[in-house]
Amino acid sequence: MSLRSELATIAGKSSYWFLHTFMNGGSSLPGKITTKIDPAILEHLGKNYDVVVITGTNGKTLTTALTVQVLKTKYDNVLTNPSGSNMEQGLVTTFLKAKNNKNKRPLAVLEVDEANVVKLTKYIKPVAFVFTNIFRDQMDRYGEIYTTYKKIIDGVKLAPKATIIANGDAPIFNSADLPNPKIYYGFKNHNDEKDMKAEPNTDGILCPVCENILHYHYISYANLGNYFCPHCGFKRPMLSHELTKLGQLTPNSSSFKVDGQELSLGIGGVYNIYNALAAYSVGRFLGIEPAKAAEAFNSNERVFGRQEQINVEGKEVTLILVKNPVGLNQVIDMISKEKEAFSFIGLLNANYADGIDTSWIWDGEFERLKNMPIKKYITGGERYRDITFRLKVAGVDERIHDVEPNLEKVVKDIPNLPTNKVYILATYTAMMQLRKDFAEKGYIKGGIE
Amino acid sequence: MENKYTLNIAHLYGDLMNTYGDLGNILVLKYYGKKMGIDVQSNVVSLDEDFKADDYDIAVFGGGQDFEQTIVSKDIQTKKAEIKKFIESDGCLLAICGGFQLLGKYYIDANGDKIPGIGVLDHYTEQQHDNRFIGNILIKNEETGEQYHGFENHQGVTYTGKGERPLGDVEKGYGNNGQDKAEGAIYKNVYCTYFHGPILARNNIIAKHILIKALKRRYPNDDFTKLEKMDVEKSY
Repeated sequence: MSLRSELATIAGKSSYWFLHTFMNGGSSLPGKITTKIDPAILEHLGKNYDVVVITGTNGKTLTTALTVQVLKTKYDNVLTNPSGSNMEQGLVTTFLKAKNNKNKRPLAVLEVDEANVVKLTKYIKPVAFVFTNIFRDQMDRYGEIYTTYKKIIDGVKLAPKATIIANGDAPIFNSADLPNPKIYYGFKNHNDEKDMKAEPNTDGILCPVCENILHYHYISYANLGNYFCPHCGFKRPMLSHELTKLGQLTPNSSSFKVDGQELSLGIGGVYNIYNALAAYSVGRFLGIEPAKAAEAFNSNERVFGRQEQINVEGKEVTLILVKNPVGLNQVIDMISKEKEAFSFIGLLNANYADGIDTSWIWDGEFERLKNMPIKKYITGGERYRDITFRLKVAGVDERIHDVEPNLEKVVKDIPNLPTNKVYILATYTAMMQLRKDFAEKGYIKGGIE
Repeated sequence: MENKYTLNIAHLYGDLMNTYGDLGNILVLKYYGKKMGIDVQSNVVSLDEDFKADDYDIAVFGGGQDFEQTIVSKDIQTKKAEIKKFIESDGCLLAICGGFQLLGKYYIDANGDKIPGIGVLDHYTEQQHDNRFIGNILIKNEETGEQYHGFENHQGVTYTGKGERPLGDVEKGYGNNGQDKAEGAIYKNVYCTYFHGPILARNNIIAKHILIKALKRRYPNDDFTKLEKMDVEKSY
C-alpha cells in the first residue's frame, strides 16, 4: 500500500466515523475526502474484493438487494452500497465503511450509475457486470439510450475478462461486439409462432445490424422480449437462464418458474421478475443452487424497490415511485392485477429530481385505469393540472375524481377514502414530501437517505 | 354527441419519432374530437410504408432520438412528393422538434453531420455547441393574439425561410434559435414547433384550430360556425 493510499484511507475512515457517530449521516463526503487525497483510491480499497457491478436504467436497487440476499446463502461477507450511493464517491465510502475481513476474499455487489461504471473499472476489474435494461430516462438530464449504453461499454472495455450477465430480452445488449464471456437471461414462456411489433411509442426498436424495425414473437413489456429482425436474421441470443412460466401475479407478489425451479417474490410487477431473474443468474454464476435462490427470495427479509406498503389509519397504502414512462407503465400494469376495489392517487412534481419536463406522463397508459376497480381518484402535486388533464383525456369519470394540489391535504384525505386499498403513484420529490409527512404522523419510521 | 364526422390522422414514423409524450397530441385530438362530434382515427406510417396524401386529414410528425432521426431522414425522401402534395392541398400537419427539422432543408446533428430534410418548407437547422435550450417557454401568436405555453429542449437552432411565419413571438424562453425571437413556424395549415408538453395538451386552442381546419377541408359544404364558436375547456 502506498503511503498516499494509506493516508487517504485513514482520512476517509475517520471522517466516516465522525459523520456517522456525531452527525448521523455521511454517505458521499468521506469518499470525497479520500479521492481528493488519492484519486486512485478505489484500486487500493477494492483490490481484495470480487466485485459484481449492477447497472442499467431501471431496477438497479432491487436487483442489487436481491442479489445480496441470494449470495448470502453461501457467502458470509457480502459488501453492498445503499441506493443513491452509486456514483464514484459513494462507492469509495462503501468500501471505507466495510469491516476488515482478513481470512477470505469477500464479495462486493455494487449498484453503479451508468456513467460511473468507467470510473470504477479504471481501478477495479469486476468478476461480473449485470445489465438490467436501458430505457429513456428523464430527457432533460440523461441522453439517448445509445449514448447511455456507450457509457456503460466504455467501462466494460477496461475489464474484458469480466462475465456479462445481461437481460437477453433487451435488443441493445446484443448490439456491441465485446470479448467478454456472456450469460443471458430472459422469458421463454411462449412459442415462436407469433409475429408482432412493439407499440408505436416504444423506444429502441431498430435492428442494430440493418436498421429496420424489429419484430417479436413475444413482448413482456416495452421493447423487451423475444425479438427478431425479418430483414437480416438478427435475433435474441440463446438464453442461459429461462423463465418458462408466469404463475400468479398480484400487486404484492409474483410466482414464476426459472430453469425448472419454482420461485416466488414478495413484490409485484413484471419488471421485478426481471430483477429476480438477474439476481438468480448472478447466484448461479457464483455457485448458488437454484433451491437456495428460491429460499433467499422467500426469506422474510424485506426488499424495497420503488414501492413500499404503509398502514395509514387502517388503510393499506402502497406508495410507488414513478420516474419515467417505461417504469410508469410497469406500475400501471402491476396495479391492474389488483382484484379488490381501490383508490388511485397520482402526484406529479416537476423539480430537478422529478424531471422538469412533465411530457412523459403522456406516454403512460392511464387509459387502462378505467378498466380497474377504482372507486376514487385524487390527482395532486405541484403539477396537478398536468396529471389531472391527463386522467381526463384517459377517460376517468370526473364524478369520482378529486383534485388536491396540497400533499398534506392528500394525506389527511386518505382515511376517508371509500376503499381499504390505496395506490399512490408519485414522482421523486412528491414521494419525499409524502414520506416526511407520513413519518411526522408516525405511519412510517424516519425517511430514507 | 353522436359522431357526425370522421377525420384520419397519419402518425408519421410514430414508432421511431416518439420523444417524450408526443403521442399525447394525438390523444388530445381524439379527446376534443369526441367533444366536437368527430371520430378521430390514427394510423402509424413508418419505414417502407406508403404515405398517401388523399387518405389523411391531419398528419402528426414528432421528434426522435438522433439515431432514429438519421434512419427516418433516409426513408422520408421516398415520401417527399406525397407530403408536399398534402401540405400544398391544405392538409393539417403538426411537426414537433425533429419532425419540424426534417420538413426543412437540412439539420446538423449532435455529431456535426449534415442530415438532409425534405425541403418542403424553407427553414434549416444548425447546431449550437455545448448548449441546449431547455426550459419552460411562453410565446404569443401575432395574428390571433393567443399565448402558448410549452417546454423546449433542443440543441438545434432553426432559421425560418420564405413563406413561413413564426408560431409565436417568444415572450419567455429561447425559441427557434435564441436570436430572432421566433418560435416554430406556420405555413398554410402546417404548424411547426419545438414545444413538448405535449403542445396540444397545454394549448387546447391549437387542437381546436387544427380540427376545424381539417373539417372544413374534408367537408367543404358543411357549415361549422357552431363548432367554431364552441368553447374548449381550459386544460391548464
